[in-house]
Amino acid sequence: MTRKIKRAAIVGGSGLLVQLLAALHWTPATFIVSAVLGAPLVIAGGMLFIAAVWKNMRDKGAV
Amino acid sequence: MLPVPVILALAAGIGLVALLFFGAGALAGHTVGRLVLLVGLLALPLLLSAANFSYGVHQSSRTQFCLSCHEMQDHGKSLFVDSKQALAAFHYQNRLVDRDTVCYSCHKDYAMFGDVKAKLNGLRHVWAHYVTGVPKKIELYKPYPNSNCLHCHEDARSFVDAAAHRPVLGALSAGSISCLTCHRIAHDMAKVETDDFWQAR
Repeated sequence: MTRKIKRAAIVGGSGLLVQLLAALHWTPATFIVSAVLGAPLVIAGGMLFIAAVWKNMRDKGAV
Repeated sequence: MLPVPVILALAAGIGLVALLFFGAGALAGHTVGRLVLLVGLLALPLLLSAANFSYGVHQSSRTQFCLSCHEMQDHGKSLFVDSKQALAAFHYQNRLVDRDTVCYSCHKDYAMFGDVKAKLNGLRHVWAHYVTGVPKKIELYKPYPNSNCLHCHEDARSFVDAAAHRPVLGALSAGSISCLTCHRIAHDMAKVETDDFWQAR
């Protein structure tokens, strides 16, 4: 589970990093990069985290 | 100008995610740790992204943002031409619209999905800028709707009382006559070319 959570952290953190870099230089292009790459990466990181927790709970018979 | 609060919040978020990355093993072992992971890896990044997106959408309505593409710079200059007939210049110079969002104020539709349409058109502009190329003559995607003018002018006394408007008030509301039929110059590009600008004293 820890490895999967770390993977989720890397993906989500990358999304935040993309958004941070875009915010350092707001232009139409960087705004779009932030919206179509940064935000989906954060969402993907969140989903990976949920999947890791869900799988862990299922393996333990909690769900 | 740098959006310092946004940058600080995102940097703090990245720092927290990095901490949780290294502490994931220890935190995943107990209930409070798992809650910290839930907040730090799911709720907080999503919240930060939503706030950042909201900030970006707000920024994308600003005049400075529209004029950051070189193709629009002549239209930006047209706000300063010495003309009382040019609609853009007249509205800008007389502060009839907020100068900080002057493009957006006049070029977004005021219907229910006006904001969304304006943002989608913005995406088309960026696509044209980077992929298909910008046409030599920049034109609107559709005829300028009277409703955009009437959003502000419809019940304004100066508009309703104007002798020229009275016979056509119904037609203007119905959209069967365009405001631009009489007010023909929206952006006076000829005066931009000849550098005929008004200077505020």
